[in-house]
Amino acid sequence: MRSRRAIFRVLLLPGTLWLAVLFVIPLGLVVAVSLAQTNIVGLPVYGLHLGNYQNVFQSYYLPVILRTVEYAAAATVIIGVLAYPTAYTIARFGGRFKNALIVLVILPWFVDYLVRIYAWVVILGDNGTLNGILHGLGMHGSPPVQFLNRPWAVIGGLVYTYFPFMVLPVYAALEQMDPALIEAGRDLYASGRQVFWHITLPLTSSGIVAGIVLTFLPSLGDFATAQLLGGSNTYMIGNLIADQFSNVGDITFGSALTVVLMSVLLVVIVGYLRRTSRRARAVRP
Amino acid sequence: MRRARRYDRPRFLVVITALVICYLFAPIAIVVLFSFNKENSLAVFGGFSTRWYVAFLHDGGIHASLAASLEIGVTTMVIAAVLGTTLALGLERSRLRAARVVEGTMMLNLVSPEIATAVAALLIFTQLGITLSLATVIAANATWAIAYVTIIVRSRLASLNSDVEEAALDLYASQWQTIRLVTLPLLWPAILASSLLVFVMSFDDFITTYFVSGLGVPPLPVRIYSMIRFGVTPEINAIGTLMTVATVSLALAALALFALRRTRSGSSVVTDLNG
Repeated sequence: MRSRRAIFRVLLLPGTLWLAVLFVIPLGLVVAVSLAQTNIVGLPVYGLHLGNYQNVFQSYYLPVILRTVEYAAAATVIIGVLAYPTAYTIARFGGRFKNALIVLVILPWFVDYLVRIYAWVVILGDNGTLNGILHGLGMHGSPPVQFLNRPWAVIGGLVYTYFPFMVLPVYAALEQMDPALIEAGRDLYASGRQVFWHITLPLTSSGIVAGIVLTFLPSLGDFATAQLLGGSNTYMIGNLIADQFSNVGDITFGSALTVVLMSVLLVVIVGYLRRTSRRARAVRP
Repeated sequence: MRRARRYDRPRFLVVITALVICYLFAPIAIVVLFSFNKENSLAVFGGFSTRWYVAFLHDGGIHASLAASLEIGVTTMVIAAVLGTTLALGLERSRLRAARVVEGTMMLNLVSPEIATAVAALLIFTQLGITLSLATVIAANATWAIAYVTIIVRSRLASLNSDVEEAALDLYASQWQTIRLVTLPLLWPAILASSLLVFVMSFDDFITTYFVSGLGVPPLPVRIYSMIRFGVTPEINAIGTLMTVATVSLALAALALFALRRTRSGSSVVTDLNG
C-alpha cells in the first residue's frame, strides 16, 4: 500500500508550495514589516519596534477600530435577524420550490461586488432614485436628503453584501433537522413559540454560529463599502489599511493594522473551533 | 402528509421572506432599469434607450479593461483548477500528518479578510522587486482560488467509492493510469463547476486586484471603482447589467453542474456545500 500512496504525496507538493510562497511567507513578511521602522525614503528598516502598534492604539486611530467592530457586529446581527426567518420559511414551507428559492436568495451574491455597492449609490445618492422619488412626491425645491456618508448607509451596504453567507449555513442546519421533532414538541403541548426557542433554535445553532463567522469576518475587512457609501466619518480599518498602501501611506503602520485585523480573526476562529469541538465531544462522548 | 400544519406557518414569516427577496433584487433591478434610461439621470426614468450600451461599445478603455479581466479570470481558473485538483487528491489520499497542516493553512487563507491576504501579496511582490502587472494579479487571485477548487473537488472525491480505483490498480493499471482514466473522469463535473465559480470570482474580484494590479491597464473592477468615485453615470449601469447577465448565467451553469451530480448521489446542493 505504501507505493500506492506515493503519488498522492507528490500531488500534494505543487499546491503546498504555492500556498507557502504566496500566503504563509507573505503573512510572515507582514508581521516583520509591522515591526520595522520607516527610513527617510519610506523603505522599511527591519527590527523589533513596537511604535506602529502604539500608533494603532492611540486616540486618533482607536475609534476607527472600534467603529469597524461595531459596524461589522451591527451588520451581522441585522443579517441574522433577516436571514433566519428567510431560511426557515424556505426550509419548512418551500416544498418543491425549496432549491429554486434558495438559489434565488443567493443569486445576488454572484452579481459583481462593486455593482452591488454601486446599486446603493444609485438609490441613495443626492441625485439618486430615492431622492428622485421624494422629489416626485412633492418635496420640490427642498435640498436632497443626504442618505450616503452616514453610518447606516455603510452598515446597510455590508448587510446587502454578506447576506448570503448567513442564509446558506442556517438553511443547511434547518434542512438537517428532523421536522418530526417540531411535531413531537407540539404534541407535547408546547406552543409554537416554545418549540422554536427550545427545539428549533438550539438545534440549528451550529448553522447560526457558522453564519456569524462567515458574515462578521469579511465585514471586518471590507473597505469598498465604507469608501463608496460612507465618508471620512465612517472610515473602517480596511480604509486605513488601503490608505497606508497607497502612495502617501506608511506601509509599516499599514502592516501593523493588518496584523491587528488578523488577530481579531484568529480570536474569532479559535473561539469557533473550540465551540465546534466541544459540541462534537458532547454528541459523541 | 400535511407535515407543516397551518398554525405552524405564521403569515409574518412569509411576509418577511417576500420582503427580503424584494430587498435583495430591487437594487439590481434599479441598476438594470436605469441602464436603459434615455436621460442622463439616475433619479427620473425618461424613456427607453440603448444609448448607454452604445457608449459602452465605443469606450475603448473599457474594452482594454474587459480584456485584462478576462485574461485574469481564465489564467487564474486554469492555475487554480490544476493546483486545486492535485491538492484535493493529495489531501484526501496521501494520509500524511503534514496534510492536515496544509489543509489548515488553506482554510486560514479562505477565512482571512481579503484585504489582509491582498496586502501580504503586495508586500512580497514589492519586497522582491517584482513589478505589479496582470501576472501579479493572477498569482494573488490563484492563491485564494485554489482553496475553492480544493474544497469542492475534495468533497466529490470523499463521496467516491474507492473500490473502483482499487479494482483498476488490481488489474495492473499504474497509479498514474488509474488517476487519469478512473479518478479524473469521475471528478470532472466537480472540477468544471469549481473552475466556473473561480473564473467568475476572479473576473469579478476587486480587493486583491485593487492592491496588486499596478499602473498598467486597470482590470474591469478597478476601472469601475474609479468610475464610481469619479461620478456615477448610467454607463456604469449598462456595464453592471452586462456583467450581471454574464456572471449570473455562468454561476447558474456551475450550480446546475453541481446539482446534476448531487441528484445522482441523492443529497441536496446546499446541505453538501455546508459539509
